[in-house]
Amino acid sequence: MKTKPVAEPSTRTQQPIVTGTGVLGIKYNGGVMLACDTLGSYGSLARFRTVKRLEKVGDFTVVGASGDLSDFQKISSMLREMSTSDSAYDDGCNMTPRDIHQYLGRVMYNRRNKFDPLWNELVVAGFRDGKPFLGAVDLIGTMYEDDIIATSFGNYVCLPLMRKAGTNLSKEEAKQVMENCLRVLYYRNTKSSTKIQIATVSAEGVEIGEPFEISTYWGYSAFQHTEYHGKRL
Amino acid sequence: MFLTRSEYDRGVNTFSPEGRLFQVEYAIEAIKLGSTAIGIQTSEGVVLAVEKRVTSPLLDPTSIEKIMELDSHIGCAMSGLTADARTLVDKARVETQNHRFTYDEPMTVESCTQAICDYALQFGEEGAPMSRPFGVALLVAGVDEYGPSLFHTDPSGTFVKYEAKAIGAGSEGAQTALQESYSSSMTLAEAEVLALSTLKQVMEEKLDNKNVELASVRSSDAKFKIYSTAELEAVIERL
Amino acid sequence: MQAPQLPTSQVEQPKESRFSPYQNNGGTCLALAGADFCIIAADSRLSLGYSILSRNTPKVAQLTTKTCIASSGCNADMVTLQKYLKFKIQMYLHQHGKEMSTPAVAQMLATTLYHRRFFPYYTFNIVGGLDQNGEGCVFSYDAIGCFERLKYTVSGSGHALIEPFLDNLVAYKNTDNKPTIERSCDETLELVKDIFSSAGERDIYTGDFVDIYIIDKNGTRYEQFPLKKD
Repeated sequence: MKTKPVAEPSTRTQQPIVTGTGVLGIKYNGGVMLACDTLGSYGSLARFRTVKRLEKVGDFTVVGASGDLSDFQKISSMLREMSTSDSAYDDGCNMTPRDIHQYLGRVMYNRRNKFDPLWNELVVAGFRDGKPFLGAVDLIGTMYEDDIIATSFGNYVCLPLMRKAGTNLSKEEAKQVMENCLRVLYYRNTKSSTKIQIATVSAEGVEIGEPFEISTYWGYSAFQHTEYHGKRL
Repeated sequence: MFLTRSEYDRGVNTFSPEGRLFQVEYAIEAIKLGSTAIGIQTSEGVVLAVEKRVTSPLLDPTSIEKIMELDSHIGCAMSGLTADARTLVDKARVETQNHRFTYDEPMTVESCTQAICDYALQFGEEGAPMSRPFGVALLVAGVDEYGPSLFHTDPSGTFVKYEAKAIGAGSEGAQTALQESYSSSMTLAEAEVLALSTLKQVMEEKLDNKNVELASVRSSDAKFKIYSTAELEAVIERL
Repeated sequence: MQAPQLPTSQVEQPKESRFSPYQNNGGTCLALAGADFCIIAADSRLSLGYSILSRNTPKVAQLTTKTCIASSGCNADMVTLQKYLKFKIQMYLHQHGKEMSTPAVAQMLATTLYHRRFFPYYTFNIVGGLDQNGEGCVFSYDAIGCFERLKYTVSGSGHALIEPFLDNLVAYKNTDNKPTIERSCDETLELVKDIFSSAGERDIYTGDFVDIYIIDKNGTRYEQFPLKKD
C-alpha cells in the first residue's frame, strides 16, 4: 500500500516537560525573599535533584520560576543578555525590578499571542529606592504585584500560611516561614523535594543561598494512619 | 553660480554645500508658473478663489478643477502642477476619513495640513510614492473646533497659517493687494468680493463666471462648498 | 455495512494540558454619569478559579484628565489593552496637539477591539468621563467592540447582580417612586459603595477594595473603598 506523506500539524510547547513546582515570595521588613525547591520533575519522575530556579538579574532583582525548566533557562539567558547590555551602556541607569517585571510580562504575552507560550509562572523580587518589589507573571502574560506570592501548588498550600504569617517579619522570621511553607508543601506535593534554595534582596543587594536540605517529620498520626485518608473521623 | 548648481541639482536627496536642496527649490519655482489662487480667512469662515486659465475657446472650463473638497469641513485650492495635487488630496481624504473612523470626530484643519505635508516630503527614496518633490502648493481652508483657519503648504513640506494668502503666478501683486485691503473684522461676503477683486487685478483675461472658481467653508455650519455658476455670478455682481 | 471497530486500548490515554491563551480573572466594573460628573469604579481583586491571586490589582486606569477606563476579564489582555490605549492617547496628543475627548477615546477603543475580532481581547470595558460639553458620559462595550453611550453601566462578574439594581435605582424602572431631583455626586458615590459592598457579599470574584474615580469639572479624584476580604 502506498502511503502519502502527511504533514504533521505544527506543534509548539503544548505541555511542559521538565517542571519545577511552586515558588514562594514574601516581603519582610527591609527586603523581599524568594524560596523554592530544586527538583526538576519529568512527569512524576524526580529527574533532576539540584536545579537552580532562582536567577539573579542585574544588581537588584531575582527571578524565580515554576513550570517548564527549559523555558526558564531560555528566559534566564534572555535576561542575562539584557542585563549585560544594560550594564554595558554604563549610563548609571539600570533596570529596576519593576522594569524587569514589565518586560517579562510583555515577553510572556507576546509568546502566548503566537500560541507558543513560555510555560512558566515567574516571580520577580527586587529592592530599589528603599522599597521591596514583588511581582508575578504567568504563561499568558497575567501580571500583578503583591506582598506575598506563591505559584502553582504553593498557591493552594503555602499562600494561606504566608497570609497568616503576615509581612511584618524580620529576615530570620521570613526565612522560618519560607522553610515551613516548603516543608508543608513537600508533605502534600508529590512533585516537590526537601532540597531548597532561598534568595533575599535588600538594601545590601541580592543574596542567593546555596541549596540545603530541610528536615521533615512523619510522626503525625494522620501520616501514619493512612486507612483514614479521605474518610471522616 | 550655474556651475555649482549643476553639480547638486540632480539628486533630490543631496544637499548643496550651501545647505540647499535645489530640486525642492525648483519645485517651489514651478508654483510661480501656476495660476493664481487666493485664500482669505474671516471670523465667519474661509474663502478660496482660483483663476482658471481657459487657453482655448474650445476648452470646457468646467473640466478645470482647482478647488477640491478634502472633508466636509475642509477644502483646498491649488497652484502649480495640479496633477501632483491629486495625490496629496487623495492622501488628505484618506487621513480625514480615517480620523473620523477611529475617533468619531472631524480632523482639525492643522492636523490635516500636517498629514499632507508629511506626505509631501515622502519623495526620492526607494518605495516612496513619488520620485521627485510634489510641484504644487496648496491653500488648505476649513472650520474646526478652534474656528475657521487657512494654511499654506509648499513642496518643502512646510506649512504656515495665514489670514490671507495668494499663491501662483500673480501671487506677488495679489499678496500686496490683500495686505492693503484685508481686515480681520471683515465679513465672509466682503472676503468673497476681496478674493475676486484681487484675482481680477492680477488676471490677464477679463474675469467672468467661466474663468474663476470660488469656494468657502462657513463657520456657521462648518461645511465646505464650491460655488455654483449662479452663486458665483451673484458675487461677481457685487464687485 | 458497519465500519470496522478499531481496537481500543485498555490503557488510559495520555493526559495533555492543552494551552489556552485566555484566563478569566473576574472582577466588576461600574460607571454612572451625572449631569456634570461621572463616577467609574472597579474592585481590585484578581482571581483565578477559586484562588485569589492578589487583593490589590487595579482595573481602572486614568487615560486623560477627564477620561477613565475600567476593564475586567483576562488580566493579561486588560494590561495590554490599557497600555496600548495610553500609548495611542499620548501619540494623539503629540500629533494633534490636544487631549483626546472622551467620545474619541470611546470610538478608538471600539476600533481597537474590533481589529482583534478573530483573536479578541477577552476584556469587558467601560469608559467613563466628561464629554466636550462637560456632561457626564459612560460607554459600555462587549469584547469585540460593540459599544453604546449610556447613563450608567456595569460589566464583569457582578454584572447580573448589579444591573437590575441600577435599572431600578438609577433609571427608576419598575417603580413609581421617581424623585424629582437628580442624585448628586456625593449621593452617587455612596450608591456605588453600597452596590459594591452588596455585590461582594454574593459574588466570589468581587471583593477586597473598590478603586473609585470621580470625574468632574475640577478634574479627577481617586478614592479607595474597602470591601470584605472573604
